[in-house]
Amino acid sequence: MERLITNYYETASIILFGIGFMTLLIHNNLIKKIIGMNIMDTSIFLFFIAKGYISGKEAPIIKGAYKGVEGYINPVPTALMLTGIVVAVSVTAFALALTIKVYDKYGTIELNEILEKGGD
Amino acid sequence: MAVEANFPLLILLILLISAFMMPVIKNIRTVKLFSLSAMLLSLVLSVFTFKHVSRAGTFVYKVGHFAAPWGIELKIGYLESIMSIMFTFIAALIIWASFYSIEHEVKEKNIGLYYTLCGLLIASLLGIVYSNDIFNCFVFIEISSIAASGIVVVKDNKENIKAALKYLILSSLGSGLVLMGIAFLYSVTGNLNMDYIHQELVNVKDLYHNTLIISLGLFTVGLGVKSAMFPVHIWLPDAHTYAPSSSSAMLSALVLKAYIILFIKIVFRLYGIDIVNSMPVLDIVLVTGAAGMIYGSIMAILQKDLKRMIAYSSVAQIGYIFFGMGLGNFLGFVAAVFHIISHALTKSALFLIAGNIIHQTHSKEIGSLKGIGIEMPVTMGVFIAGALSMVGIPLFIGFNSKWNFALAIIDSNKILFIAVLVASSVLNAVYYLPIIINGFFGEENIKDKVFRSKEKPVQVLLPELILAFAIVYFGISSKGIIDLITKSIAGL
Repeated sequence: MERLITNYYETASIILFGIGFMTLLIHNNLIKKIIGMNIMDTSIFLFFIAKGYISGKEAPIIKGAYKGVEGYINPVPTALMLTGIVVAVSVTAFALALTIKVYDKYGTIELNEILEKGGD
Repeated sequence: MAVEANFPLLILLILLISAFMMPVIKNIRTVKLFSLSAMLLSLVLSVFTFKHVSRAGTFVYKVGHFAAPWGIELKIGYLESIMSIMFTFIAALIIWASFYSIEHEVKEKNIGLYYTLCGLLIASLLGIVYSNDIFNCFVFIEISSIAASGIVVVKDNKENIKAALKYLILSSLGSGLVLMGIAFLYSVTGNLNMDYIHQELVNVKDLYHNTLIISLGLFTVGLGVKSAMFPVHIWLPDAHTYAPSSSSAMLSALVLKAYIILFIKIVFRLYGIDIVNSMPVLDIVLVTGAAGMIYGSIMAILQKDLKRMIAYSSVAQIGYIFFGMGLGNFLGFVAAVFHIISHALTKSALFLIAGNIIHQTHSKEIGSLKGIGIEMPVTMGVFIAGALSMVGIPLFIGFNSKWNFALAIIDSNKILFIAVLVASSVLNAVYYLPIIINGFFGEENIKDKVFRSKEKPVQVLLPELILAFAIVYFGISSKGIIDLITKSIAGL
């Protein structure tokens, strides 16, 4: 328990990951599925960025004098997650576009109704 | 540095740049020829890269000249160069075959976009194969999952959109799991380059045993979803059935394989086989692979739709590959890599032939294919080569991969699994052979059928004939390629 409280960033991100994962799996509504997917991605971003944070250090932007390597947090995870965010946004946009198409063709975005209508 | 060392990056750039030039070209014929020539150029460069590797050994290309822990590396050894040749060769043949079939399946205004997506897809798959940086691989994985959903949805039917959305959601779930695995590894090693992660892991493997099991589990499930490992294969039958046949061929032959190659690289280069064998992950892969071999074959027997049957057969064949890797010994991985090549050749031929048959007979049902061998003898000849190879008849490439699987099983002392291999082969025969028998034999079946009445001209069938030739050629002389694969796994 104490380990969970000390590492509260990691704990929070794993809980969020679980929420996102279950939302993605059990909901029938496609929009809710996409929201779940986003929560899952965001939790990984939180996890990664928490790994790069060193308490008491500044963001890796030089303002005024350069404080040396010891003065700043690890910038690599932050940079990686910028890429991750871009990827997540494009996947979300594509999924939403497909959802619009699904609504056009089937008249609903509930997965169970779609499977009944389009069943083969 | 030899000039060949630049070729891997050049291949990626050629494919990406040519892909994005397609939408601005108005003439469809130009688009097709442009796409094919970009792919053939990549094939030629891949062959030169392979020559260079066999002369000078594994080499590393530093992208942007930044040294390793900071910059991104492309690492090309035997495995990567063989796979690069295979990917570009099969992609070129599929694109060639799609020249004659794509108009029937995709609206004219989307054809340019279709070839854009093909180029993008092959470039991202080759990126996964080449890259030595695990986060870079993740980015390529995401590009490939968007492009792969794209080539499913391009047909713009009701079912396609459903199948593509299912595929997109499940594959982004898979890439989420892979990213989480990367996060765990980064937090214990502080590196993203596979070689550097391995060096760190050797030092800290006892300290973080559970973390390593979790991250390898995340990689296995994540890449398993994307390569249709048995319990998480549910997106595959829909996507492969409804996509245009050239897309199905590309999805089944190439897209699934790139993730398996990444998994092999993760097992050998990132963790090292000793660390992986100290965890129970490969045993689970063995069981799911064996279950997939049986389940996929049984489901294929139950199907009435030709393409859906071939799609379930893919589930079974992916099961074979995971089964080989799950054995955990060296020969198992050799057999798995050989089966990647054999399945890619066979399944691309089968899907392209299925597309031709469906177009000529206007029917997807297996039951209505009676007497088809008389009406389309050349087409069905290629189908027979593919089907016999899937069943595992000698002289065809599928026999050699089953032979290697059997050797690997004996080597690993898990003799009982031979039964799974034999049972799956028998089940394969149960669903492939009736199509051939109904196509050629039976009084009722061939009554009123006119010889060659529905055959397509030979130049249309040339890509399929080349694939059939490759199936037979590698079936007869597979020793050279097995030796190369042995060398490639040893060199990882």
